[in-house]
Amino acid sequence: MISIKDFSFTYKGSDVPALSGINLEIEDGDFIGIIGGSGAGKTTLAHSICAVIPHYRPGDFYGSVTVNGMDTIDTPPEDIAKITACVMQDIDSQMTTSVVEDEILFGLENFSVPAEETEQRITEALEEAGIPELRYRNLNTLSGGQKQKAAIAAIIALKPKILILDEPTGELDPQSSVRIFKMLKRLNEEHGVTVIVIEQKIMLLCEYAKKLAVLNRGRLLEYGSVREVLKDAARLKETGVSCPRVTDISEELRRRGLYTGPAAVNVDEAAEIVKGVCEADD
Amino acid sequence: MKGLLEYCRGNSFLHSCNPLIKIAAAFIMCVGCFMCSSLIYVLCVIGITLIAGYSAGVGGKVLKIFTSLLKLGFILLLLQIFFISEGHVLISLPFGIRVTAEGLHFCVLLALRIAGATLPLALMLMVTKMSDISGALVKKLHVPYKYAFAITTALRFIPVFADEMNGIIEAQTARGVEFDTKNPIKKISLMLPLCVPLLVSSVKRIEDSSTSALLRGFSLRTYKSGVKTYPFHLRDAALLSVAAVTSACGLLIGILI
Repeated sequence: MISIKDFSFTYKGSDVPALSGINLEIEDGDFIGIIGGSGAGKTTLAHSICAVIPHYRPGDFYGSVTVNGMDTIDTPPEDIAKITACVMQDIDSQMTTSVVEDEILFGLENFSVPAEETEQRITEALEEAGIPELRYRNLNTLSGGQKQKAAIAAIIALKPKILILDEPTGELDPQSSVRIFKMLKRLNEEHGVTVIVIEQKIMLLCEYAKKLAVLNRGRLLEYGSVREVLKDAARLKETGVSCPRVTDISEELRRRGLYTGPAAVNVDEAAEIVKGVCEADD
Repeated sequence: MKGLLEYCRGNSFLHSCNPLIKIAAAFIMCVGCFMCSSLIYVLCVIGITLIAGYSAGVGGKVLKIFTSLLKLGFILLLLQIFFISEGHVLISLPFGIRVTAEGLHFCVLLALRIAGATLPLALMLMVTKMSDISGALVKKLHVPYKYAFAITTALRFIPVFADEMNGIIEAQTARGVEFDTKNPIKKISLMLPLCVPLLVSSVKRIEDSSTSALLRGFSLRTYKSGVKTYPFHLRDAALLSVAAVTSACGLLIGILI
C-alpha cells in the first residue's frame, strides 16, 4: 500500500511548492490515473512514490510517503526499487544501453534474476509490449513510440508490485495506446500489480483506471472512483482537465433536465443513456 | 557522424570475438601506427581495418569515418605544414613561409596516423555491444561495474550528443540561421553559442539516465550479476595474432628506417 500524508515538496531553488498538502492512500491492486494540467505536480508525485524524491531531486520535503511500509526518506531507493518500477516521461533519458534486448536485460541483471529465467522474461516482456521483432534493434534507430514500448518492456520484465508510468502513451498512436492500457489492465487484474499512470488521454484512463486523482497547481483536487471524479465535469474543466466526450453528452443531457443518473464514462454507457432519453421522449 | 559509431548487429568473425580481445586488438593496431613512421605501413593498417570492416558488414561506415578523419587531418596538415621549415624546399611563399618535403611528409603522416589509430577503435565499437564491453570488463577483469558502465555510457553518449547537436542546428536553421555557409570561421562562430544549450540538455539527460539506472537496481549489481559469460576461443587468438603481427611489423620497420 502507498500512503502519502500531509506531503509537500518544493524543489531546491524554487519558491513555489511543486506539491502541497497531499493526502493519498493507494491500496494494493489499485489502478490509479493521475490527471492535471501542465505544472500540476503529476511527475513530482510519481517521483515521490518511487523515491527519486528526496534522494535524487533535492528540495524541502514535508510530511511522509510510505511504500509498502517503507518510508521513502529513510529507505534506500534501491530497496524501494525492488517493488516499484517507473517509466519516465523522457524515454530517451531512461535508456541505459544501446540495444533493446540489453535494455531489458539491464534491470534483470542488476536484480540478479537467475540466468535460466531471463530469456523467458525478455520474451514475455517483448510480447506484452508488442515489439518482439525489435529485440535486436539499436535503440537509436527506433521511433519515439517504439522506444516507449521498449522502455515499458524493460520495466514489466522486472515484474514489479507497483508500476508507475509517466505519460506512457505520449508518443504512441491510438491503437498502440489502447494495447498498452490493455496490457496494464491485464497486469493489474491477473497479477495484482498496482498501476499508477500519469496520462493526458483521459478517455483511456476512464476506460481502464479504477480511480482518478486530479492535481491542480500542486494540490490534490479530487480523488476517487472514475465516476465520482467525473461527476463534477465543470470543476474539472476549470483546472484545465477536459472530460471525455461521452461524459460531456451525459452532462449536457443532465443540464437540459433529460437525465439524472451517473455520468457516462465510456461509449457504451453514453449510448445507453441516449437510448433511454430517446425512448422516454417517444 | 550520425549512426557511425553505433553497434551494427551481425554474425561475422569480428562480431563473434571476445569483447576484451577486440579492445586489445584495436589498441595494438593503434600503437602500431605510432611506432612506425612509414607512410606505407600506416596505409596498410588503414587498408587492413577497411578490409576487416567490409568483412564485418560495416565497411561503408568505416570508409565514411575514414573520409571524415581525412578532412580533419587535412586541417591539421594546413596548420602544421607552415611551421616546419627544415628539409628540401618545395614551395616558397611570401613572408618567408616555406613548404618543405620533410614538413609535408610529417604532416601527411600525422593525418594518416590519426586515421590509422582511430579506425580500429571505431570498428571495434561498431561490432561490439556496449553492454558486452562493460560485461566483459566486469566478468574477466573484475573492473567495478560502476566504472565499466561509466566507460561504456560515455562511449554510448557520443552519437546521442551528436544527434542532439544536429537537432539544435536543425532548429536554428528553421529559424533562419545559415549553417550551410562555406566559411569555416563563420560556421564555428555560429556553432559556438549552441554549445550552451547542448551542455544544458546533456547534463539533464545524464542526470535522468543515472536516476533511471539507479531505479532499476544499478547499485545492487555485483560482478556476479551478469548472465552472459565471455569465454575465449581460437578465433580470439587468431584476431590477437593478426593485430600483434601487424604491430610487430610496424615496430620492425620503425627500427629499420
